[in-house]
Amino acid sequence: MDENEVPELSDDEKKLFEDLMPEDLNDILDTGVNRRHFLKLMSLAGSGLLAAQSAVAEQLFTKPIGLPTSAELAPASVENGVNVAFKVNGAARKLLVDSRMTLLDTLRERLELTGSKKGCDHGQCGACTVILNGQRVLSCLTLAASCEGKTVQTIEGLAQGSGSTVRLHPVQEAFLKHDGFQCGFCTPGQICSAVALIDEAKRGDASYVTADVRKKAAPLQLSTEEIRERMSGNLCRCGAYANIVAAVQEVQHGKPVEQTFRFSA
Amino acid sequence: MQDKNKLTGTPISRIDGIAKVTGKAAYSTDYPVKDLAYAVLFKSTIAAGTILNIDTSVAEKAPGVLAVITHKNAPKLNVNGGLRGGSLLQSPEVEFFGQHIGIVVAETFEQARHASHLISVDYDKKEPKVDFETLAPNAVLPKEKDKADASRGDAKAALSSAAYKVEETYSTPIEHHHPLEPHATIAEWNGDRVTLYNSSQIVNGAQTSAANTLNIKPEQVRIVTPYIGGGFGSKGGQWANLVLTAIAAKQVNRPVKLALTRQQMVNSVGLRQQNLQKVSLAATQDGKLTALAHEITTHAAIKSEFVEPCGDCSKIMYDVPNSLITYRVVPMNVILPTYTRGPGKSTGSFALESAMDELAHKLKMDPIELRIKNEPARDPSNGKPWSSRKAVECLQVGAKAFGWEKRKAEPGQNLQGNYLIGYGVAAGTYPAHQRPTSAVVKLKRTGNEVTATIELAAADLGTGTYTILTQTAADALDLPLTNVTVVIGDSDLPPAAGAVGSVGAASYANAVNDACQKITDELITRSGKQFFARPTASQMMLSEKITEYKTRVDAKPLESAEAYSAHSFNANFAEVAVNRFTGMVRVNRFLAVTGAGTILNPKTARSQIIGGNVWGIGMALTEESILDPRLGNFVTRSFADYHVPSNLDIGDMDAIFIREDDQKANKMGIKGIGEVGIVGVAAAVANAIFNATGKRVRELPITPDKLI
Amino acid sequence: MRPFVYNRASDPTTALNMLSGKPNAKFLAGGTNLLDLMKEDVERPAELVDISGLALTTIKTITSGPNQGGVSIGGLGKNTDAANHPLIRQQYPLLTQAILAGASGQIRNMATNGGNLLQRTRCPYFYEVSMPCNKREPGTGCGALEGINRLHAIFGWSEKCVAVYPSDMAVALAALDAIVKVRNVGGQERAIAFADFHRLPGDTPHQDTNLAPGELITAIELPPSKLADKAYYLKVRDRASYAFALLSVAVGLEMAGNRITQVRIAMGGVAHKPWRALTAEKMLVGKEATEANVRLAAEAEMAAAKPLEHNKFKVELGKRSIVLALQTALNGVG
Repeated sequence: MDENEVPELSDDEKKLFEDLMPEDLNDILDTGVNRRHFLKLMSLAGSGLLAAQSAVAEQLFTKPIGLPTSAELAPASVENGVNVAFKVNGAARKLLVDSRMTLLDTLRERLELTGSKKGCDHGQCGACTVILNGQRVLSCLTLAASCEGKTVQTIEGLAQGSGSTVRLHPVQEAFLKHDGFQCGFCTPGQICSAVALIDEAKRGDASYVTADVRKKAAPLQLSTEEIRERMSGNLCRCGAYANIVAAVQEVQHGKPVEQTFRFSA
Repeated sequence: MQDKNKLTGTPISRIDGIAKVTGKAAYSTDYPVKDLAYAVLFKSTIAAGTILNIDTSVAEKAPGVLAVITHKNAPKLNVNGGLRGGSLLQSPEVEFFGQHIGIVVAETFEQARHASHLISVDYDKKEPKVDFETLAPNAVLPKEKDKADASRGDAKAALSSAAYKVEETYSTPIEHHHPLEPHATIAEWNGDRVTLYNSSQIVNGAQTSAANTLNIKPEQVRIVTPYIGGGFGSKGGQWANLVLTAIAAKQVNRPVKLALTRQQMVNSVGLRQQNLQKVSLAATQDGKLTALAHEITTHAAIKSEFVEPCGDCSKIMYDVPNSLITYRVVPMNVILPTYTRGPGKSTGSFALESAMDELAHKLKMDPIELRIKNEPARDPSNGKPWSSRKAVECLQVGAKAFGWEKRKAEPGQNLQGNYLIGYGVAAGTYPAHQRPTSAVVKLKRTGNEVTATIELAAADLGTGTYTILTQTAADALDLPLTNVTVVIGDSDLPPAAGAVGSVGAASYANAVNDACQKITDELITRSGKQFFARPTASQMMLSEKITEYKTRVDAKPLESAEAYSAHSFNANFAEVAVNRFTGMVRVNRFLAVTGAGTILNPKTARSQIIGGNVWGIGMALTEESILDPRLGNFVTRSFADYHVPSNLDIGDMDAIFIREDDQKANKMGIKGIGEVGIVGVAAAVANAIFNATGKRVRELPITPDKLI
Repeated sequence: MRPFVYNRASDPTTALNMLSGKPNAKFLAGGTNLLDLMKEDVERPAELVDISGLALTTIKTITSGPNQGGVSIGGLGKNTDAANHPLIRQQYPLLTQAILAGASGQIRNMATNGGNLLQRTRCPYFYEVSMPCNKREPGTGCGALEGINRLHAIFGWSEKCVAVYPSDMAVALAALDAIVKVRNVGGQERAIAFADFHRLPGDTPHQDTNLAPGELITAIELPPSKLADKAYYLKVRDRASYAFALLSVAVGLEMAGNRITQVRIAMGGVAHKPWRALTAEKMLVGKEATEANVRLAAEAEMAAAKPLEHNKFKVELGKRSIVLALQTALNGVG
């Protein structure tokens, strides 16, 4: 790589950089980053970033996303079996389940869709949130038996494609950009919740912090306070709430939310 | 200083981010292991006594049940093998409510859970020791040497003659870690070797404690933990569930999955103990501290002891000639307490920094000024120079950024609508250590492209390990990030420090950097050539046309670091709004200013700090585990009863890092941020509540009932 | 969770028939509380009749009968849909606020209106099967009476049970004098006044409501209301959201100038049922809405409270919350 390139970046490069790390652009332009550094950073940008992360992700004990293959095989002993046919992430699935089996356990233990998480199994944390017939619900308190004929969308069904050609859902992208997670365990539930929440705002649904519920307006542009309340059914023990709110706001408002990383000499 | 040409120091998004936002990151229970059986634990329903009879016959006959294991048929395990908290099914003795007393293994989770409700137990019940308030006066000196009375000068004498003093007792409740991922294990035997998919902050520690407990060799145990769904100390030392899964799998001769339920988390994997802390401060009229006594009373488990070091901040925060720090402990019938985020410092700083605020109020002095006035030039506990200390800068920078000048010195004066507004400040600190860590770096050349794989048994529990190590290696090897793969979370990899006590980043990054420097050195030597300017490893791979090369480093902390006292420091600023009718508190704004040495990634570092702040806000306002003093059970056994903060509890969060170049602590100047983020937070909130309302609450959490 | 037979009902008559004569069978609607309790082994049905697909979800204006001009809400409609329906938002904003104060977005999407009324207490002694609890297992005693009772009742409790009923929605329904419409297997319908729907514990704390075995909640009727302009649901809790109430107050007022012509006050988190503050209401009707009058009424109401060891704060909190809720209903959020 050439050390002597001029510091100025082309407009295309600026645009690329802005997409990746808008908060850094001015800083970078002011201090005159050299092109070599820029190229190193750019190896992260756009598809490069996704490819890199996906490539790493594939190696890091990630799970392939469950496909309708042998998963329909029922375990040896199903009690009070119920036949259920429903759609999961666009694919028709038919299974015989124990009447006691929750949607969450069905996804995780039978369909190899382990993205939805069991944080409490009692409707008190939101980690199992999935989108059922277009509504966010808790899969831990939903019986699989009651899902006959319904449509389920899980975290695995939000992104398009896989590997180096993955196209994330805008909410997934915003969570990545704003670091809306740390350990990542609550993240699938947070993201499913946020995706559905954006539709709820489009419809004009109210929340407990809505100043006047008699005033109906749709679509709504949600304040941070509204986002906080509407995302409160998803606990994050790592404490990424501020970043989650920024991510949701970015997608809900349809414009970038600034990220600031502050240093003092 | 941050080098503009380096990848370290830039806010890149998490390397493991894609896996996490797409649901592909595999946590302990996510592995697609074939032919799984499911285990569910069942627990004692008394807090002290002996199991006289345990009837498992109904459960054994229940559909799908493969085995029921209790103390009557469990294999012999080494109870001193290094697992915490007992509960290994080795005896009929019951030492706390909710001790594991058996496991059901069945074909399906539904069957195992149901059968676990079909066990009947006769107990010889004893009166449990669970009422801390009653037991506290009988507390005794802890067994650990570092908890002996530590005295400098004569604090009691200085206190008795002081012109100004504060002598108050502060109380913090039992708290639980409650990572969103409950502790869970999949155990899979292959001959005499067992693989344990199990979230582990200390990968090698989990391996050796599991092996020792199972009476097998460490190399017969493999821990796999690439993703950890939060830990906060509870997944540092491991607990019985790890090995119980292994013996269940052995017994049924199949892989077994065992996940604790959320309700079982309260008495399975440790807790932060309840503390009563008496803090006495003496000062001259102009605010110079003359004495600081910090006297702590706490509890441990009935037969084993853990005492969190609540006096640590008091040892080093302020320049005071007379100091006394004491610990007393009483055994109780509860699960063994353990390290919990900011162990000792988060709770200890609540007491110390509340007392400082009380003293400032008595002296009619600004609490920032009081702290600056007592800034120590060297570590008062051992006389060593600081490796770096930016405590004053943290306060000053924070005051300016937060708008401290808008604070009304007189409490209860800032009413806006129905809300009393208050500002609070508190300082904090956490020690910076590097621990021995090995790392392997493997280089591979394909045509003109060089890629690197970094391997070490490190852990990433959301802390950003993958990301910062990728950045570190890319810089050291002069490779783009895309050409570096970091592999961690597996005990088959070179041994590494745990992701505990804020040692992770310093230990791992220094080891990876050392390994990358070493491989560069070796490649240069191997070439037999001389260079004017040091070439990079990738240049050497290309110019020497090497296809594959690897090396290993066993990195050790700097010996010279011993001469210094190395700590991170912070200052926390809170603005609260207290509803004057209901006493509900809202933290409108929070700012943490932190001096923690080199910041490898501002994005993940900021998240760590504000995450610690959220923990501190929970500690201040909502979190409390309550024992029934008659029965010894937790009445706060679910997320509906134990209130970790929700999204709406958290207002605007802001973080500022003070630039620090501290190569005395370790080569890369990394001081750690995971723990310091919670230290001082609860006090800042409590002090803000005092400023808002004039009410000094010395008992956490500050729930609405305490403010009306 | 014990094994159970699962059946799905397609219409109310079938559902009622499927449940008929089976004391150990239960309706499954949203499942948010029932499945939770089944996992804890507190609820142990041998059969579940899934009624979540029944068409009892309509929200409409009542066009005849005593409540003409009011609104009827289907028993199996979801909480979210009730809260956001234009008729409810316009005419019963108190109900919208109360529903939205409860649980989370996800749970409100699942929970049904009828099911909400049948929520069981969150008392930790009820939830943990090894603990004494007369509600769960009559005759075993009350764990909370002399145990940890910070969250428990200050009104209407008995030595047998000091639990509180957790619903927010129901507190608003109590204030709005709602009527619960139920149907039995014979197809007979009856209307239960909201005040008579839930019970005080007395000697039979295991019976939460006056719903007869096998009855199905088909609708909740709201009489016409003039309280929409000045209404507020205040919820005080240990954290800002997604938590049960320490105490809550639903208020609605009708004013003539500064004079109160009609007032309703109901409290949650204080008793085994939504607690109508009738003493305070009586004192306020016809009075001017001054802070002094409001305070006097609140104090009079709370004077009858009988707190337990750990919940004495609820008496003072109740007074303050009544005052704040009325103030907010009159003047808006401050």
